[in-house]
Amino acid sequence: MKQIEWGYLIICYLFLGGLSAGLFFVSALSTFLQKDGTPTRIARWGALLSPWPVTFGSALLVFDLGNWYRFYKLFLHFQYVSPMSVGAWLLLFFSFVSLLYAFAWLTPEQRNTLFARLPKRLPRLQIFNLDLTAHRRALAAIGLPIAVGVGIYTGVLLGAVQSRPFWNTNLVAQMFLFSALSTGCAVLLLAIAMSRDTMADSELRLLYGLDISFMILEFFVVIPYLVHGELSSRAVQDSLKLILGGPFTFTFWVLFLGMGLLLPLVIELVEFAPAMFSKSALAVRRPVVACTAVLILAGGFLLRYVFVFGGQMSKFE
Amino acid sequence: MAERKKRYALVIDSRKCIACRACAVACRAENQVPLAYTRNWLNQELRGELPHLLAISEPEQCHHCAQPACVRVCPTGASYQRADGIVAINDRECVGCRYCMIACPFDARFFREDRGVVEKCDLCKARVDRGEMPACVETCPSKVRVFGDINDPESNVAQLLTTRQFRVKKSEAGTAPQIYYLL
Repeated sequence: MKQIEWGYLIICYLFLGGLSAGLFFVSALSTFLQKDGTPTRIARWGALLSPWPVTFGSALLVFDLGNWYRFYKLFLHFQYVSPMSVGAWLLLFFSFVSLLYAFAWLTPEQRNTLFARLPKRLPRLQIFNLDLTAHRRALAAIGLPIAVGVGIYTGVLLGAVQSRPFWNTNLVAQMFLFSALSTGCAVLLLAIAMSRDTMADSELRLLYGLDISFMILEFFVVIPYLVHGELSSRAVQDSLKLILGGPFTFTFWVLFLGMGLLLPLVIELVEFAPAMFSKSALAVRRPVVACTAVLILAGGFLLRYVFVFGGQMSKFE
Repeated sequence: MAERKKRYALVIDSRKCIACRACAVACRAENQVPLAYTRNWLNQELRGELPHLLAISEPEQCHHCAQPACVRVCPTGASYQRADGIVAINDRECVGCRYCMIACPFDARFFREDRGVVEKCDLCKARVDRGEMPACVETCPSKVRVFGDINDPESNVAQLLTTRQFRVKKSEAGTAPQIYYLL
């Protein structure tokens, strides 16, 4: 009788929103860690990439609405008890800050090219051709908590629904956050693996270190989610049957947990291990880095797929 | 003296239900609900075989929970709870995100594809404000449904809840539902 209300548009949005948050997080961290004022590729690329998935994802959200042209009403209200209202405002601030941050990372040539394309009839727009290079750190510091907010709220959106036992635990928010941060690392790994330039040891160490940490954290949220669910009330136990013998068993265990989380974790650990405690350079092969990154991205998407559809099927009987 | 707060609720005696569905028809007519949707419905179950047979028909609709999950999650405040306990939707504010439908433990809400908004039972609030009964209550031929203010000790509902045993559905979801099913 119950039909699925939230479908692929929402799944894509949850994935893309998390991806942007992850990209911003890694870029901001890299900005803070940069030595002797030399900006790193990771910081620049993360900054330039981060606004786009979230803006595209937000557009998907708007088109999922029954009355998409009423989306502005979300910004006429602030309902602090509604995760969606809080999330809408977070998205608005995050999109703004991440765009500004990306702008701060443009080179002067890129900025001038951009502004040369603006209509000549509006010369006043040229006053916005500002050099924000000096404010990168400040923007990163402002955006970092908002990015974490965006990453975690996608999980809170689901976790705060008391009538869906599959979702109604605080662990979903953490799971989504670590998955989001890990997908952000994965996109940057993919980007540096596909670029022609040599992969610097420092950037590989940063990305591998972060990604491995996020995936381990994610794994140690998934495990208590399952254990605690099995030790919880009957409704929660029943809802876990969706992934323990139910329709999402294969997708969850093999595709998400196996191929999308543990396999890339093992690959990265094997590649990182020899260099982890020594000064020797990380020896990685580009195709392996790229494949691992793709697996992580697929895993992040499938996690959201399982949770969005599975959660809507779970209920109190 | 401060005015006593009203708390409207429904008391349902399923054993009187003859499954005529007049409540659904009356609701449809009163609230202009298209045929594809319904604001109230019957849960029917047939157990055993003759002569050991149990046939249950239990009417259900929005439970007008005291702590409604739909109202809490609504991002625009379109879903709201009146001071008298009726949970309703201001459809001019509804953006159609359907978060409330996901939050409702009773699946009492539906999405009007044609209008892009969510609808549900509002206990015929316009009729209630005029001092009338909701359409489903008024039309029920076997008096399954009793509507009233449970905070008024003189009301039928309050007296039924004092003198009869009852249950509420899915109270474990934590929304404090306000449809009382007599045992």
